[in-house]
Amino acid sequence: MIELKFTLNNQPQTLQVPANMRLLEILRDQLHLTGTKEGCSVGECGACTVLMNKKAVCSCLMLACQVQNAEIETIEYAAEDEMLKTLQDSFLKTGAVQCGFCTPGMIMSAKALLLQTLQPSNDQIKKALEGNLCRCTGYVQIIEAVQLAAKTLAERA
Amino acid sequence: MKSEPRKDALAKITGKCRFLDDYSCENMLHGYLLYATIDCGKIVNISFPNDYDLAEFTIVQTADIPGENIVPEPVSDQPFLADKAVCHYGQVIMGIAHADLQTLKKFISAIEVEYEEEEAIIDVHSCLDDKANQSGECMHISHTDRNKEKTDNLKHIEDVFYTQHQEQAYLEPQGMLAEYLPQSSTMKITGTMQCPFFVKSAVQMIMGKAVKNVIVETSEGIGGAFGGKEDFPNLLAGITALLAYKSQQPVKIVLERSDDILITTKRHPSRVAIVSYTNMLTGKLQAVNIDYRLDAGAYLTLSPVVLARGILHAGGGYCLPRCEISGYMHKSNTPPNGAFRGFGAPQALFAIEAHLDNIGKIIGKSPLEMRLANILRLHDTMPSSQSMKEDHLYECLQKVIEISDYKNKRLEFEQYNQNNEIKKGIGLALALHGGGYTGNGEKVLQSKVKLRLEKNGEVQIFVANVEMGQGAHTTLAQMVNEELDIPLEKVNVQIPNTSLTPNSGPTVASRTIYIVGTLLQKLAAQIKKEINYESLEEYIRQHQQLFPQEFERSFIPDPEDSFDEKTNEGTAYHDFSWAACVLEIEYDPLQYKIKVKKCWNVLDIGRVINYNIALGQVYGGITQALGWALTEDIYKKGYPRSKGFTDYTLPTTEDMPEFQVEFIHTDSAIAKGLGEIPMDYPAPAVRNAFLQATGIMINDLPLSPERIMKAINRSTL
Repeated sequence: MIELKFTLNNQPQTLQVPANMRLLEILRDQLHLTGTKEGCSVGECGACTVLMNKKAVCSCLMLACQVQNAEIETIEYAAEDEMLKTLQDSFLKTGAVQCGFCTPGMIMSAKALLLQTLQPSNDQIKKALEGNLCRCTGYVQIIEAVQLAAKTLAERA
Repeated sequence: MKSEPRKDALAKITGKCRFLDDYSCENMLHGYLLYATIDCGKIVNISFPNDYDLAEFTIVQTADIPGENIVPEPVSDQPFLADKAVCHYGQVIMGIAHADLQTLKKFISAIEVEYEEEEAIIDVHSCLDDKANQSGECMHISHTDRNKEKTDNLKHIEDVFYTQHQEQAYLEPQGMLAEYLPQSSTMKITGTMQCPFFVKSAVQMIMGKAVKNVIVETSEGIGGAFGGKEDFPNLLAGITALLAYKSQQPVKIVLERSDDILITTKRHPSRVAIVSYTNMLTGKLQAVNIDYRLDAGAYLTLSPVVLARGILHAGGGYCLPRCEISGYMHKSNTPPNGAFRGFGAPQALFAIEAHLDNIGKIIGKSPLEMRLANILRLHDTMPSSQSMKEDHLYECLQKVIEISDYKNKRLEFEQYNQNNEIKKGIGLALALHGGGYTGNGEKVLQSKVKLRLEKNGEVQIFVANVEMGQGAHTTLAQMVNEELDIPLEKVNVQIPNTSLTPNSGPTVASRTIYIVGTLLQKLAAQIKKEINYESLEEYIRQHQQLFPQEFERSFIPDPEDSFDEKTNEGTAYHDFSWAACVLEIEYDPLQYKIKVKKCWNVLDIGRVINYNIALGQVYGGITQALGWALTEDIYKKGYPRSKGFTDYTLPTTEDMPEFQVEFIHTDSAIAKGLGEIPMDYPAPAVRNAFLQATGIMINDLPLSPERIMKAINRSTL
């Protein structure tokens, strides 16, 4: 057991957890934030993507000890985050959601991209989302959603 | 065409939508499966590890089954739990439950099962090339046009096509939660499934008289299904229920990804042999013999139904004056193959579409000439003797040729390929897909739907059809709100629950909108006529005492439709959807790699209710088909088989071509099937584009670099 201190969705957290507990379990089982999904447990599908220090990571590959003092953001943060909210609206508008299981991870990866650039090219979007599998949509409307969100945010800025 | 936002999208973009793994209840145990790790053999001994207290675990084996150890399917030949013998890898031997998931998984991995191994059939070729593996009944269609023309100048061409397994790869693994309520003798099941009433029958079967009531409800979110959550949930629900019954505690099983890939159903591998006689001058196929074989896996389960759809689509979108089509099932030692988007049609259409291009190449006709010479036109007859009541397939072809600039591109690529290392190719393919159950299926199913008009002016839809990502619950609500003339936000589809919703049939066969939606639309029209209101909300407000009120309607088949299940003659499907596709590729001979660049699609699915949802179905279906055509292969090298998405390669954002999708006849009165047809045509279109690019005829899928390299080495030897 370790004392784990980190920031989750802008709130400080202190937990007693085994050092090898995966971040995904910390979020889902310890903190009951089930918006982050488990699709494969080995970092292949991207459904469990969260932001760690503003970078997209698979929470199924992160152990508690790696999260020490880190800044973690999950889909639940959208309630107060402008960029996530804009991405959600765009996913809604372009019809980018089908079964919805990959959606939270997809939105987190998209945010990681938009934090780097508000004018991503089509290729940059494809590259940024390459690690997020979706079996329903063929990705077209997801890519359109990220383009739309970038445009909306750029106009606002 | 409207593009209403999906009703389920808000819950999904916020992560609030509950998928099965997000459910938990008090005293819940985690359940898991011990399954066979050999392909075929006898179980000699099972030994449990000594360092665990067995009393902490709930273990169910065949002896614990109070009912029958048979999963109900069209052919009920599969046991829930293996007894002494196993006939496929992944066959479940026991279910085990414990309060702690980690302890449970460690315990299961420490159990030793000793087997006496027997020879197994895994490879698609060894299964389907040997008639000794045939099992179950053969199906046959024989058709001769009265007005067939006589001709001498015939070219005889034979081809054999093979396709491989395909994993559905829904992003949410399968899961089931069972709660046993002893006071009322009720077993409540919640889970990922397409067919709640099938699951109910399965749980009744395994529990027998031990349980009086079985209630099955789907989880709020179902993370993709594609047919994969049609049959396997029956088995999973049965075992989960058994664990809950024995432990007297709620039990939840959620499969790990690797196990989901290893033990659940897949698309049937196929072998399709076609012998044809073609008029060399006109390109018209005069006589065709199609031998269509499916690898059913270790048990036949629903394979006869896939076989029926397969042979009824085997002639493709073509008028074949004389044809004989035979369908056979073979057994092997893989998990039983089951439902997967397309359901036998993609295999059939891959063969006929590729064969047409092969003939054209041999007799010197372009792919377009071959299609124009043979395409099904108005009043032509299909192999089932069903007559064409529309000319929409021809219109799809005309339109796709036009929007893709097919003719010029083909010539341009021929030129280009003479001087360039990278080769370009353009492929053409047609597709048809029958909506709803095959033959008399819908007549037998007699789907029933219910609408409830609430006191507050809202309308609830009660159907058994699930929202698994395809947008059905939004589209169905639109069909009702438009007919009743009330706002869409007032209409909602209830989560399917066998104790609340009437049996409107399974969520399969592109039937949810076409059959169930049409039924709801008719019921709504009937309500509007009966109540005769100006504004429904106003009427309800003024007649509060009459509400809530429920209305029901059952499916009434067209009396003109008849189908003979012995000869497979008659109306195989009341309506077909039609599609034509042109697809452009680039082939890099250094890497033996195909890159799909553009894909033009013209579809007739009748009325388009929600344009964004319809587009999403087309994009998604094509993408799944491109995975099947190019990379996806479970048994690539025999062993080790794929266990995850590293060696089972799904299309990613980087693999996507540019799409153009057009729908025709969108003002039709009827909304036809959509879910499956986009899966039917991309694979042959890619294959035919590769034929143009390289001149090499490859008759097997997938067109992976390995296969292409082998084919090229063979042809240059």
